[in-house]
This record gives sequence, C-alpha cells and structure tokens, in this order.
Amino acid sequence: WRAQLVLSCFEELLDFAVADVASECHRIARLGLDRSVDAEEEELRLWAARVAGDHPGAEDGATRAAGGGGGNKGAPDVFGQTHPAIAADVVDCMNCGRPVVAGRFAPHLEKCMGKGRKARAKTTRSSTAGRYRNSNGEEHSNHTFQES
Amino acid sequence: SSTSRLVESGEKERLMELLRERLVECGWRDDMKALCRAYARKKGRNNVTLDDLIHVITPKGRASVPDAVKAELLQRIRSFLMSSSLW
Repeated sequence: WRAQLVLSCFEELLDFAVADVASECHRIARLGLDRSVDAEEEELRLWAARVAGDHPGAEDGATRAAGGGGGNKGAPDVFGQTHPAIAADVVDCMNCGRPVVAGRFAPHLEKCMGKGRKARAKTTRSSTAGRYRNSNGEEHSNHTFQES
Repeated sequence: SSTSRLVESGEKERLMELLRERLVECGWRDDMKALCRAYARKKGRNNVTLDDLIHVITPKGRASVPDAVKAELLQRIRSFLMSSSLW
C-alpha cells in the first residue's frame, strides 16, 4: 500500500529533523551557551523593571554594560549621577508665565497653547481684543476658555 | 529501497530543506528547543546526552507537526515517487 511508503519517507525525514534540533540543543547545553541566552533574558528583565521605575539606580555589571544610553531612566550615568524618572526642575512657561514642573511641561503646553478641538483659543492682547465669536456666533468678551 | 533512491536523486536533500524551513516557520523548532532547555536545566547541563534529548522530544515532535506542513511534505514525496519510476 503506497500511502504507507509515502508516510515512512516522511517519518524518516522528521526523525532527521528531530535529531538536528536535539544535536544543536545538546551542543548548546554542553558548551554552556544557554547561559548567555539566560543572561540576555535576565538583562532584558532588569532593564524593563528599571524603566518601569522598580529599581532606580540598580547597579549590575551586566545591565550597566547593556546600556547607559538615552532610554535608561534612573540608572547612574557616566558621571555616576542618578536622575529621577520625571524631571523635577521647575521652569516658567514662556506662554502663560506660570511655573511648571519640567517633567510635566509638554502636557502643560498642550493645554496652555490650545490642543485644537479640546481647548479654545485665549484672547490675545491685540487691538481687536475684547470680543471674539465662537462658531455659534455668540459674543464672548475677555473670557479664556480652557477645557481640559 | 525507495529511500536510497530518494537520496541518490538529491530529492531527499531538497525535501529535508523544505521540512526544516517549514518547521522553523511554524515555531516547531523553537518549541523543541524549549523542551530541550527545560530538560537540560532539570537534569544538569553536563549530564545530558544526545540520546536523552532525542528521546525527550521525539514523541512531542512527531505529534506537533502542523497538519498543513505534513500534508505539503506528503504531497511532495508522493509526486516525486510517482514521477520517477520508483512507484
């Protein structure tokens, strides 16, 4: 029965494929190459945890080597200094003049300058200040609309 | 035997390549590697023999080949056997 012949051919091919994988894994186990895979996974885990803020300033030879680059919040930089994940400096907004925490500056600016749909334009100090019409045609004077 | 004919014609090599490729694509190879790693961790890296690993993964390996992959290979084998005079 020829179907059996075809099947046995397939099974033999599969046995070869199995032996192939087993052979590679045997080599990896014996040479301890799986340790470098484990070390990589461990590095990734630690990095992810640090970015999430769980381990600020954690010092670990492997993770430090992995990258003190741009994305590492809370890790010591090349000068040995650590910085909080959210920048705590206070700056003055050049638009409205209010003091704002630097780490929250972008969201502040979004509302402060008008996000489009959500926030309405403030009245400007021009010669035409005093009144402006919204889309309904109603008159509003000296009002600042900020929906947030 | 028809297997040795397969080998002589070079078709076996081509079929082996095709099977290998499909088994990588569908994640079968990764699954087998994970089984091997788990076994090696349990038993200890240096206590693992090649025979052990083959025995560990063969049952699952045979059972977890996707139907589509098996069908494709069977079809290829069948047409090759039919087109040559090995039938």
